[in-house]
Parts: sequence; C-alpha cells; structure tokens
Amino acid sequence: MSPFLRRTRAMALKEFRHMARDPQVVLLALAMPLVLILVFGYGVSFDVEHVPLAVVDQDRTAESRAFARAFSAAGTFDVVATPDDPRAVEPLFRQSLARAALIIPEGFTRARARGEAATAQMLVDGSDNATATIALGYGDAIGLTLAQAELPRGLSAPLEARVRTMFNPSLRSAVFIVPGLIVLVLVIVSVMLTALTVAREYEQGSMEQLFSTPVGRLEIILGKLAPYFLLGLVQVLLVLVVGVTLFDVPLRGSVGLIFLAASIFLLGELTYGLVISIITRSQMVAAQIAAISTFLPALILSDFIFPIDNMPPPLRFVSSLLPPRYLVHALRSIMLRGNGLETIVSDLLPMAGFFAVMLLIATRRFRRTVA
Amino acid sequence: MTGAAHAPALEARGLRRRLGITDAVAGLDLTVRPGELYGLVGPDGAGKTTALRLLVGLLVPDAGEARVDGVSVMSGGPALREALGYMPQQFSLYGDLSVAENMRFFADLFGLAPAIFRQREAELMQLTRLDRFRDRRASALSGGMYKKLALSCALLHRPRVLVLDEPTNGVDPVSRRELWDLLYQLVDEGLAVLLATPYMDEAARCHRVGLMYAGKLLAEDTPAALVKGFDDVTWLVHLSDAADPGARDAAEARLRERPEVRALSPQGGGLRVVVDRAGDAEFRRYFAAADAHWRLSPVAPDFEDVFLRLVTHAS
Repeated sequence: MSPFLRRTRAMALKEFRHMARDPQVVLLALAMPLVLILVFGYGVSFDVEHVPLAVVDQDRTAESRAFARAFSAAGTFDVVATPDDPRAVEPLFRQSLARAALIIPEGFTRARARGEAATAQMLVDGSDNATATIALGYGDAIGLTLAQAELPRGLSAPLEARVRTMFNPSLRSAVFIVPGLIVLVLVIVSVMLTALTVAREYEQGSMEQLFSTPVGRLEIILGKLAPYFLLGLVQVLLVLVVGVTLFDVPLRGSVGLIFLAASIFLLGELTYGLVISIITRSQMVAAQIAAISTFLPALILSDFIFPIDNMPPPLRFVSSLLPPRYLVHALRSIMLRGNGLETIVSDLLPMAGFFAVMLLIATRRFRRTVA
Repeated sequence: MTGAAHAPALEARGLRRRLGITDAVAGLDLTVRPGELYGLVGPDGAGKTTALRLLVGLLVPDAGEARVDGVSVMSGGPALREALGYMPQQFSLYGDLSVAENMRFFADLFGLAPAIFRQREAELMQLTRLDRFRDRRASALSGGMYKKLALSCALLHRPRVLVLDEPTNGVDPVSRRELWDLLYQLVDEGLAVLLATPYMDEAARCHRVGLMYAGKLLAEDTPAALVKGFDDVTWLVHLSDAADPGARDAAEARLRERPEVRALSPQGGGLRVVVDRAGDAEFRRYFAAADAHWRLSPVAPDFEDVFLRLVTHAS
C-alpha cells in the first residue's frame, strides 16, 4: 500500500473510532433522519383534506342539493353546518367552526335551466392562506367538472381544463418531501460533524502532534471525510427505507443512481464542513456557521418546499451556486419520474464542481502551523 | 567520534517571532548536538513553547532560520518529519483511543512496516512499562503514564532529534525520575534532545542549558559552569515569625528595597537572597541592625540563584 493510502486509511480509521465511541454522535446521526422524516412525513402536509364547509342552500332544489353534495363527496370538504342565512357564515369562520362556505342563491336551478350562467358563491377563510388557496382551487375544479358534465353533447365547452397530475397523482406531500428531506438530513448532521472535526483537533492540541508527522493535508482531509461520508450514506438509506415503507414513496428509478447523486452531494457538503472547520479552528463558531449556512439553503433555496421559479432573480442565482437544489432535483427525477443518468447529469456536474472548489479551498487554507 | 557526529542535530539562528503585541521569541540562537541533552529553562511566558514550535516548524518565524539535521524546518518535507520527534506540552494524543491504538496510528503516519512497528512497540512498551495499559484509553492514564505514551509515540519512528515541551509537567516524582532515566538512556544512544522546563532542578540535570527570559537567551552553558561563574553571594534569611504570612511579606518588601539585593525567593520558612558581592558588607551591616526576628546563614549558590540573578538583571 502506498504511504498516501496508508496514512489516509490511518486517519479514516481514527476518525471512525472517534465517531463510533461517541454514542451521542451515533445517536444524533441515526435518530435525526428518523425524527425529521416522521415530523415532515406526518406533520408537514400540503394536502388539504376535510376542510370544514358551511353550505347555505337558498335554492332548496334537488339540483342545488346535488351541487352541494359534489363538494362533500370528494373528501376535501366536510359539511359541518347548513345555515339558512348567509350572515351565519361569518360567525362560523370567527369561531373556526368552518373554513369555507358554499352559498347557492335562490334561482340557481332556474338560471341553469334557462341556460344562463348560474352562480354559486364560495367563501374561504383567508386567515389560513395555504388552506384557503388550495380549497379555492379544489372548489373551482369541482364546479368546473360539474359544469362540463352538464354540457349538451356535441357542444364544445367555452373553456376546457383537464388537469392530470403525473408522477404523484394524489399529490401526496410525503412523495414530494422525502427527496428534499434527504438533502436536509445530510446537511444537518454530516456537515455539522465534519465542521467540528478539524476544529476539535486544534482545540484539543492533537493538531500540533499531527503536524509533526509526515501526514499531508490532503490525507488528513480525505481521512476525515471517509467515515462521515459512509455515515451520510447510511442516513440516505434510512430515509429511503422509512420513506418507502411508511409513506409509500415510489422508487421508480435506480437506487444506485440515488446513491451516486447523494455521494457527490455529500462529498461537496462534507468538504464544505471541513473548510469551515479549517478556517474557524473553533468548534463553537464552526458549529454555528455550519448550521446556518447549510440549513437555510437546504430548506429554502433547494426547491424542497419553496419553488425556486417563484423567487426573485438574485435568490435564484444564489440557489444555482449551491448544491442542495441540484440534489433535490436529481432525487425527484430519479425517484418519482424514474429518470436515468442522462437526465440528471446536469445536476451531478454542478455538485461535482462544488466539491472540487471546496477541496481546493480546504487544501489551500489548511496550514501546517498552529498559529 | 566522526565529524558528522559533531555537526549540530538542531540549530537555530536569529529566530524571531511576534505573537500579538509581544516578541515571544526575540532573536534566538542555539545548537544541540547528537547525544546532547539541552534544557531550555525559563519562567512561564518566557517564550519557550514558541521557541520549540519554531524549531519544529509549527510556527513560521518572522526572521531567522532553524535546521534539523541540516534540513530547514520551513521546508516541512518528509525528511524533516523523519528526523524529528516532538512532544507538545499539552495533551495532544487521542483520549478516546487506547494506548495501543494511539501508537499504531502514529506508526501508520510514519509509514512503519508492520513487523518493525511490532518490534518497536514491544521495546517501547517494555521501556516505559506501558504494556499493562495497552488497552486503556489515553484519557484514563495518569499524568506520568500519559507522558510516557506521548514520548513513545514521538520515538516510534526513531527520530534523531527529540523536542519535548515541559515533559514532566503534571507528573508525579516517581514517574518523573523514570522519564529522566529514559531520556538519559536515549541520549546515550546518540539522540539529540531539546527540552523546555520551568523547573530549575530539572535544568541542572541537562548537559547544557539555555536560560530564557522575555524571548531571549540570557545565558547558555553547562549547569556547573553557570554556577561556577556566579559571582554573587547567597544568603538564607531565617524568620522566627515566619508562621505569620504578613511578616514574611513585610520582610520581603524591606529586603527588596536594598540596592545590593539582586534576587529574592521564598525558601522553607525563610527567604533566599542573592546579594551583589560588592554590597555584601553593607548588606550584613544593615541586617545586623534590622530586625530581631531575622537570622542570616550563608548557603552555597545553586542553579536557581544563577537564573534568578539573571532574570532580575534582565528585567
């Protein structure tokens, strides 16, 4: 074995022993993905179901009742009250007893019979913006579907909207969240751990001893990356297994490709953690910088929850420089769409570039001196 | 002895390094030959640790140069690392690794072949009597045992120069003696050893010492020659009221005011005073009239007197 490999292996083995002998690290590394996936999987849901709906049917015909039933049948809305007077709706909103109201005015059926535009009113509680927006969307869709069903044969509708959701037909949040969650888990735990590792050697004085040996900077860096890299892959596996078994997240593409993408991402982010550690030489400072500078981009600038396309150009630019969005994109592409290597190369290359830049900075800034 | 044996194993010329606003090392010249035990002595803050770090290439000097076995330490290459063994002052091994794992780790970094490692490990374990603690974590070792482990790790690759920063700091007297026996044995085998210590009794055991203060060497010679060249008079002042700390402080303050008193340090229940030879008669006259509680007795000067005298003079 070449001296380079031998020293790198010695560093890696040492780091692995530090990691394995610190129960808190192992616990953090394995429990964090589980906690996050359970919290995000069960707690964070963009699915809107069982919206409490008040129905004010002033028309009181078979047709108006059928129209109201269409709303409750989809599962999106639960009819919780049927007041006679529209003015009763506001108190229901105020007490949070209802979040939406459907008001069918008198003459609704007559107007339809005459072929005129029949208008029903949908009221939503805007204090819960997300629910309101989605409920409105569902409401529109139900109304439109009914309208189309009523159109006489041979006539084309004035507006044709056919919404078909591909890859995640029921628009379940877990399917959408798990790929993003992998990114979050990797940056929270792995980057934090590598950000601590070099600073710890400076603080504990062992760097002084290390620098008095022939071990090179690149050997230290690669040796330190190795165990945390493996730990990161275990975390990916953990999230995938829980995602697939507990939340029925589809795995349409190659698992090997998922790990390839995650590996390139991990190398870049872990080396970024080392750069923080090398520059700060302080565990306390490194931990804080690592937490803020990786968590926020992974959460906000990754397309995980907030669509990048809706962001102002400067933020879009920043996100294009950071790896999280590329991994989120690649993972969704592989897992949900079953895409192959050729479609995710454009995601892998920027992540590999980030790794190369970080490795360059880490080796350049790593000085063999103690002050 | 061949000519090569006389060539310096470790050499510093005009080393300078500023740390913050202090000149931690302000022009250091020293030479350590193979088979020589050189002690860098000085109080805390004298610049000893900075000097050693400059000598092993862990700090970049502002000026000057250091060479180990003729190789510039700033080259930092493998030849330098092979020639040099270094033991920092503070805990610098891995506390969560066992004695054997720490040794194995450093052997791997120095690229020792497995068979050679096993042989040297066995030798060093026997020499330091660490074999019973092979599987104990380094953090669970006593101060003395830890230092022996650190020394073993620094010796695994058979360096020609060994640099030790306060090797007996936090070590009990028995382990301290064992460490010194070990050092003598290594030096007898031809190793050049440079050690920093704040303890005068340890300095006196070195072949040569450099007295360091405020980043500079105040004097450099064998301990015997330094004591021999000492031209002042040393007295021990016995205080019959020494049990009262206030009385001793007051006596110290009064004696310090005397112009002929060069250095002063507590010793037992009294004070050890170094007096300028020219002013000795004056001092005795003053003393006879000074205080009924005081009694004066002559003592032979020792290495500490030399050092205190030099430091007082320098400051």
